[in-house]
Amino acid sequence: MMGGYGDVKLLNDDGTRLDGRTVDEMRPVEIKAGILPAAQGSAWVKHGLNVAVVAVYGPMEAHPRKIQRQDRAVLDVRYNMAPFSTSDRIRPGFNRRSREISKVTAEALESVVLLERYPRSKIRVEIEILAAEAGTRCVGITAASVALADAGIPMRDMVVGIASGKIQDTVVLDLDKAEDNYGQADLPMGICPNTGELVFLQMDGDLSIEEYNLATEYNYKAAAEIHEIMVAALKERYDGGEA
Amino acid sequence: MAAPVPSLLRQELERLAESDQRIDGRGRWDRREVQLEVDILYNAEGSAKVTWGDTVVYAGVKFELRTPWPDRPTQGSLMCGAELRPVAHRKYEPGPPSPQSIELGRVVDRGIRESGCIDMEALCIVPGEKVWGVMIDIHVLSDGGNIFDACGLAAIAALRTAVVPAERFDVGEDHVLAVKGTPVMASFQRVGGRFVYDPSEDEETGGEERIHITLGNEEHLHSLQKGLKGAFTPAEFAEILEVARTHCGELRELVSSMEGN
Repeated sequence: MMGGYGDVKLLNDDGTRLDGRTVDEMRPVEIKAGILPAAQGSAWVKHGLNVAVVAVYGPMEAHPRKIQRQDRAVLDVRYNMAPFSTSDRIRPGFNRRSREISKVTAEALESVVLLERYPRSKIRVEIEILAAEAGTRCVGITAASVALADAGIPMRDMVVGIASGKIQDTVVLDLDKAEDNYGQADLPMGICPNTGELVFLQMDGDLSIEEYNLATEYNYKAAAEIHEIMVAALKERYDGGEA
Repeated sequence: MAAPVPSLLRQELERLAESDQRIDGRGRWDRREVQLEVDILYNAEGSAKVTWGDTVVYAGVKFELRTPWPDRPTQGSLMCGAELRPVAHRKYEPGPPSPQSIELGRVVDRGIRESGCIDMEALCIVPGEKVWGVMIDIHVLSDGGNIFDACGLAAIAALRTAVVPAERFDVGEDHVLAVKGTPVMASFQRVGGRFVYDPSEDEETGGEERIHITLGNEEHLHSLQKGLKGAFTPAEFAEILEVARTHCGELRELVSSMEGN
């Protein structure tokens, strides 16, 4: 069970949420591509109050040589939270949480990047969370996809990170901080909007199969909306917003 | 985007210096365009983003309650740290803090601390028991050269927007952090034999020693640092100090303009 604070009120009497959203409404999302001059590709994503910035470097020579793969590139993904990104300052450096998120994010992106195009090389994806308000791993995945596209790295599809969850026995899209802290379940997914495939999946809490299905439906709906914003950001970067 | 061969870059910088030119077309004492945004990050009690040419830097301020040092029971504390994470440039590798990032954080820290812009006594809540610790963390996201000046500017701008979160710690009402003065850094690097202001990444790669000067509101010196191999004369220092006065004054006005006062 998440949180375990079942008696915290998270829904208004009219069924809306504390921030006024309906159950299937996501927080506002803004995306910019190509915002870091030193990187090959980069992206800035603001999702609710979350802010993630991603830089992509490479393909470059993979070293040390023992990490090289003869038939494909390796993706070197790091997810990191800035010390000032959370309510209480966090000490700089990796911890168990950031290592796990780095690993599953890398595996999500490996599922779409055409790694076989770059044997023996390395592509670095650096995810920096500057402000955290629940859902940063999803925002990081979305931002990483835009940054990889901005770097011109060929991909089968982009990946959209989005989560639904459960609060007060009600399935809702895109948990905010209070809902994440005091809710009953969280279901983050990495969705490929064109193929409809899933390349990232985690869950914790308590969901019935019906609730899982509804949460998944919400995630797919939101992924289509976020995908449009991702594409618009890349178009803005490369042809001044002309379709 | 690939890094130029250092020896060829150095030759080119020397050739340009003969006719007093710079690789990006600037004059010797010209600054790149600087943009400053403040109070932009949720969760940070003060924040700033500096875009300085191709350099992008964020700074965030956090507060924590701590017990004072035994020899300074009525004083809070200030800590300023910088991270050169691999996000900022392909030349940075993951790992523990590098000597470079420690130097960067400490030079910025000294400029702010020694200017006296933060009244440490005002950070005391209960003498001998409870004081505020102010933590400024600087995050370099894109290293396009001269990260020192960008980090110094981001740090003081973030500090000047900081709100002490007293309510969250149950020690009174939230209030604006009192900051008296705006210390500003100006950095110079020897490129092609002579000093230039605000070195670009290419100039840093192909340059020699660098000098960082932090000036306070009264144009007093608050931190100096010479980095990398090289030797300079007092006359050279006198010349760049004059340039520093002009640029620090302009940037101080930029910081003040952000606060609407």
